[in-house]
Amino acid sequence: MRVILILIKKEFLQVFRNSLLWKILLIAPLAEFLLFPYTADYEIKNVHIAFVDHDHSRMTSDILSKFSASHYFINHGVVNSRNEAEEMMKGDEIDFIIEFPADFERSVVTQEPTKIGITANAINTVKAGLGSEYVQHVLADYLIGISENAQNPLQPQVAQLVTTNVYWFNEQMNYKNVIVPALLIILVTLIGAYITALNIVREKELGTIEQVNVTPIKKWQFLLGKMIPFWILGMAEFSIGLVIMKLVFGISIQGSLLLLLGLTAVYLLVMLGLGFFISSVSRNQLQAMFIVFFLFILFVMLSGTFTPVEGMPDWAEYLNYFNPMSFFMSAMKTVILKGSTVENIQDQFIALSVMAVILNTAALLSYRDKVK
Amino acid sequence: MAVISVHDIIKSYGHIRALKGVSFDVEEGEVFGVVGPDGAGKSTLFNILTTLLLPDSGTATVLGRDLFKEYLEIRKNIGYLPGTFSLYPDLTVEENLIFFATMYQSSIRENMSIIKPIWQQLMPFKKRPAGKLSGGMKQKLALCCALIHKPTLLFLDEPTTGVDPVSRKEFWEILGTIKTQGITVVVSTPYMDEATLCDRIALLQEGTFIRMDTPPNIISSFKGELVTLRTDDIFKLLRKMADCPLNCTFYPYGENLHVIFYDPIATILPQFEEFLQQNDIAYDNLMQISPTIEDCFIEIAGSTHP
Repeated sequence: MRVILILIKKEFLQVFRNSLLWKILLIAPLAEFLLFPYTADYEIKNVHIAFVDHDHSRMTSDILSKFSASHYFINHGVVNSRNEAEEMMKGDEIDFIIEFPADFERSVVTQEPTKIGITANAINTVKAGLGSEYVQHVLADYLIGISENAQNPLQPQVAQLVTTNVYWFNEQMNYKNVIVPALLIILVTLIGAYITALNIVREKELGTIEQVNVTPIKKWQFLLGKMIPFWILGMAEFSIGLVIMKLVFGISIQGSLLLLLGLTAVYLLVMLGLGFFISSVSRNQLQAMFIVFFLFILFVMLSGTFTPVEGMPDWAEYLNYFNPMSFFMSAMKTVILKGSTVENIQDQFIALSVMAVILNTAALLSYRDKVK
Repeated sequence: MAVISVHDIIKSYGHIRALKGVSFDVEEGEVFGVVGPDGAGKSTLFNILTTLLLPDSGTATVLGRDLFKEYLEIRKNIGYLPGTFSLYPDLTVEENLIFFATMYQSSIRENMSIIKPIWQQLMPFKKRPAGKLSGGMKQKLALCCALIHKPTLLFLDEPTTGVDPVSRKEFWEILGTIKTQGITVVVSTPYMDEATLCDRIALLQEGTFIRMDTPPNIISSFKGELVTLRTDDIFKLLRKMADCPLNCTFYPYGENLHVIFYDPIATILPQFEEFLQQNDIAYDNLMQISPTIEDCFIEIAGSTHP
């Protein structure tokens, strides 16, 4: 016990004496939280649009004014030709071209099939995707409006255009609700895997690990002496993150705080075990960093943190069974946003616990206090 | 009873054979020196004996215990000062010592008597980060940390490499006092002058012990006739010596040249002087001297590698 305590004390002394490290530990979450949600704001404003109008009807000018009225769009008005519009898009002046065919109004009134051309500048895929949703919204709004006024309601063809997007648990489409919990997860992952792995490999580089190995200390004592301090640091970071989430972004935890902390505690164990394992197989900090970075990117990409899981192929979904971040992400989002209880997330709890046991066993077995 | 008993230890790193079958015993209470140039295998041997590295083959007992099966027990009773500074540079002198004392379930107070003479020198710096100490002080702290659990066997891997001559001398004086406390010391060094301070030395070259004996015995078994001379142009002399027809081994020694002859000195010396004059080499202080350990090492190494 005394041995583990002195190991923990040593680790904290080193963290707090390493002025850069503990500043990073403190500043990183603040910087991440305060900047990132604004830069990764998926809500799109200022969508630049231009129209190519072959119809010049009352209906098209009505639609134009609808777009002008919306604060999401900046209307560049009607241009003379398709070519001119495309030039504008190439010059990055506009994001969308909306093209009305020659007999648009007549077709709508007589309920003949017609097409509105929507061309999106997909350099910024998020803007293109969300922007086209907005465009469809505005068009559908208008068409529903006229069909309600008209004698005979419009046929389903037009109604098909009406895409109703209802965002459950995130009604105002506020992406901060998604991004901020995601950032919390990234923070915890970084502390858990990165700092643990780099710390132990640094001891290898300095040779201090040999000096420790030559003492009669047991492997599990060494493991605990490394894991407890970083577990505490991780939990502290997570708590700071939660406070910022509430104070700055006004996101309240719908579910139980205790459940959230318990979930994080288990997840941190997974990450610490992973970090420890990576440090066992790496010879220097560079190697360790590359392995952690590679896994980290993989976890983030697959987990659906920043990209939708729906668009991924099936095999990616199966890979996610091995992705601790994916389990943590889904459990945490539901606890924070939906107020899920322990019954709702027991699958994730079990998955993470199993991973924690496997990775920490691997870490313990792979750690060599005696080299071949 | 032997404190260390090593039998035919072999260790390779890929194609490089670091130890090619080393066997020796270390007796209780002696200072055993492993002497050899860089790359001879000293650190590999130390890493094996301190239970950090497994050899490819061979058997060994340390403190009466099997080196490979009972390594945790051995670790309790040995101290190890590695070849490179391996304490926590960001912890202070005192924190390092407390840390290692605790790792051995011991305390500074308990074993202060062992480290007292060294610790007193470190006291003024006890709040200083270990990384900011001078080379000599670092080694003294490392020695304190290796002694704080009162080991019965102490391994020192090149403890004086990179340490100034005054601190080196001081360090060896400390080793003398450690020995008086009944601690067996195994020390490696590339410095031949330090070898004479050991009770027994093993000359290690390319992974094999080429000689193992007490320093006086090694010196007295020197077979050749050793001659020294001084010249202003040592490079010219070395070049010419390559064509010397006499049966000899030569090597620079400080500012001088040492030559080992294997024929009676009375007949060989006039021939040598004649050779020098023929080659137009100005020299002085030509005389016969008694060999040091270094001369012995070169003689032995030379005879095993003709």
